[in-house]
Amino acid sequence: MKKGNFSRLTLIGIVLTSSSALIVLQMLHIQNSTKHQELSQWADEEYSYAIENYTPERGNIYDRWGRLLAGNEDVYEAGVMLEYVTNPDTIAQTMEGVNGLSYDQIYDVVSQSYDEENSIYAVITDFLPSGVIDVLSDVKQTYETENPYGKNTEEPSLRGLIWSSHLKRTYPENSLASNILGFYSFRDRQEGMGYYGVEEYYDDLLAGNPMETFMPRNPYMLESLPEVPAGASLVLTIDREIQAMVEKKLDEAIKEDEAVSGTVIVLDPRNGEILAMATQPRVNLNQYWKYEDEFKDKVPFNRAISETYEPGSVFKVLTMSAAYDAGVVDDETTFNDSGRYEKYGGTILNWDRKGHGEQTMQGCMQKSLNVCLAWVADEKLGAEKFYDYMQAFGIGHRTSVDLGGEETWPLSVPDDADWYPIQLLTNSFGQGVAITPIQLATAISAVANDGKMMKPHVLKAIIQDGKQYNTTPQVLSVPIKAETARTVTDMLVKSLENESSLALVPGYSIAGKTGTAEIPVEGEYSTDLTNASFAGWGPADDPQFLVYIWLEKPQNSPWGSVVAAPLFSDITKELVVYLDIPPEDTQQNLVAKEG
Amino acid sequence: MAKKSKQAYKQAPWRRQIQSVGMSLLPVIALVVVISIYLIISAQSASAGLEIMDMHYEEEEILRIIANQRTELAWKTSYTKMVERAEEIGFESAPSESVHFIAIPGYEGQNPVLLAPPPGSENTLGPLVNNYYQESLWDWIYSTFLTSAQTSEAAQ
Repeated sequence: MKKGNFSRLTLIGIVLTSSSALIVLQMLHIQNSTKHQELSQWADEEYSYAIENYTPERGNIYDRWGRLLAGNEDVYEAGVMLEYVTNPDTIAQTMEGVNGLSYDQIYDVVSQSYDEENSIYAVITDFLPSGVIDVLSDVKQTYETENPYGKNTEEPSLRGLIWSSHLKRTYPENSLASNILGFYSFRDRQEGMGYYGVEEYYDDLLAGNPMETFMPRNPYMLESLPEVPAGASLVLTIDREIQAMVEKKLDEAIKEDEAVSGTVIVLDPRNGEILAMATQPRVNLNQYWKYEDEFKDKVPFNRAISETYEPGSVFKVLTMSAAYDAGVVDDETTFNDSGRYEKYGGTILNWDRKGHGEQTMQGCMQKSLNVCLAWVADEKLGAEKFYDYMQAFGIGHRTSVDLGGEETWPLSVPDDADWYPIQLLTNSFGQGVAITPIQLATAISAVANDGKMMKPHVLKAIIQDGKQYNTTPQVLSVPIKAETARTVTDMLVKSLENESSLALVPGYSIAGKTGTAEIPVEGEYSTDLTNASFAGWGPADDPQFLVYIWLEKPQNSPWGSVVAAPLFSDITKELVVYLDIPPEDTQQNLVAKEG
Repeated sequence: MAKKSKQAYKQAPWRRQIQSVGMSLLPVIALVVVISIYLIISAQSASAGLEIMDMHYEEEEILRIIANQRTELAWKTSYTKMVERAEEIGFESAPSESVHFIAIPGYEGQNPVLLAPPPGSENTLGPLVNNYYQESLWDWIYSTFLTSAQTSEAAQ
């Protein structure tokens, strides 16, 4: 009995040990076989990772108070897995009319034959809102309940129809500030990019870094999960409320004055921040592909930075500033205006073709005398100094404003082949010289900011990796001394007041200058077609805003003092409220109370 | 003691067999325990890994939803909509002439917008996971019993 038990136990032990040894041996064999290495490599290649093209969320664009101007919304692409389509007719019928698609268009897509190599999935349409998908989902579910797996091909079934969500660029304000924002060509999902304005200038920042990522399928490889940061968001210097107000006023003025177009720039001369920049035409950015209908005949997307024109008398601000700064004229300097200035084979006349007798520099600016300014540029400043100052004011150079599409027109100077001495005379009052509105607004802002010309910009802050980085204002140049700037500002305040200008804003001291420039048509200046402008800033003792206005070819009146000056006043009356700038008497009372 | 053990083995010799079987099974049991622990931890890791991957996709979806909701809110508070709503409930634009400025002590105007913390402000949000969920069993015993015991002693 004992022996038997021992034998059985031994036998069981041997069998179990042998089995275990065999299992271990087989495991070692599998582990070290060449087939195992092949399979392991194949599995690694095929199933360890999935390659995914990841496009990070495009950064948002906000106005200066954090109101969203450009964001992203969830939309859906609808398509069919051709292998599973059982009833193309139902799909075509159900989706007919969605995104304007006809039954035949949909049917052609969904009835394609399945091909494992070339034809697995077909897109029906894209950019569907979630509401449409909710309806489709309900209908699909109903059909699936009534006809599981679409087995009965006679019964309706949406089997094979699928949808996937993605983000689409959206502009909640539609056309508001469209000329500043530009647009992102979201309909091109593979090659989409920013065009014009902020979307173009900051395209790289907004887009982030689209990348091809290896998504691990092995749950043990957690550490290699890719992190793809979203594109940077931008906070602009634009104030949505001011922008809307300026656009509204500009549209009304263009309509009332029957102008071809118009441009208004509102900026803070102290730091170069652009608070508003309105032009016509504008486009609904959510339908950006229609912009070619609006911008015909090479009309620039943003005239404020892309269209050059002869500004006329507004330019006199720069000439007079240069003369005062160079010390060649002062408050005592007088000029006897005969109404004509003949030199270099040409004759300069005043706007009214009259002479105005003896005038101080104040009188020259107040009456906007071309003859006087030509004399100042020619006989007081001289060509060299005049053009040195104009270059210091940035005339002929881009301002480097951070918007896509800025243009410039070169300034001809004495050594250039295309410069003639008569140009010194005409340039002094803004004819024969071409600028963009942003160039002249920036140049004049030096006069409003104690001689310092700040770089105009629309970017206030960048939000990247969860941090907000505020930008720092930059000085472009200091073309004139602070003392000169204040003298010219005072001169222009008095000019407006003495003339009872339509640009005046009750309660505020405003400095400004009108401009009316004739437009060359086939080599001859036309007296009927003008560019009417006004540049004004205030409050004169502590300028906090500068408004530049340009109306192109106004029919109601050709004069800047009649069409551009009142628009300045209309805008400024509301602007001071938005900017919390009380009238001077109120301000004094408030200071007295606080004291 | 040794005599008693010898006596016991003489009376029941199967005890010696049991002892030898037990001794030989001991490393096997130890091995099984180690393997089991390894398998449990391995399974938990895999499960956590899958959960993290799911959460990764969920995070993407949530970010998309946030972007969508933010934009939807912007649509609802866009300039045109706000003006329409204001007019519907009877507001009118104030003419600039009728605006009166009053001094409010301490009010310095609207602050610049801050949509994210400035650089250099690390940990401004504080720890995302409460310490309660991060403490070990020992930490819990120490904080619950030992610390409270020390506190009551100190109180007495």
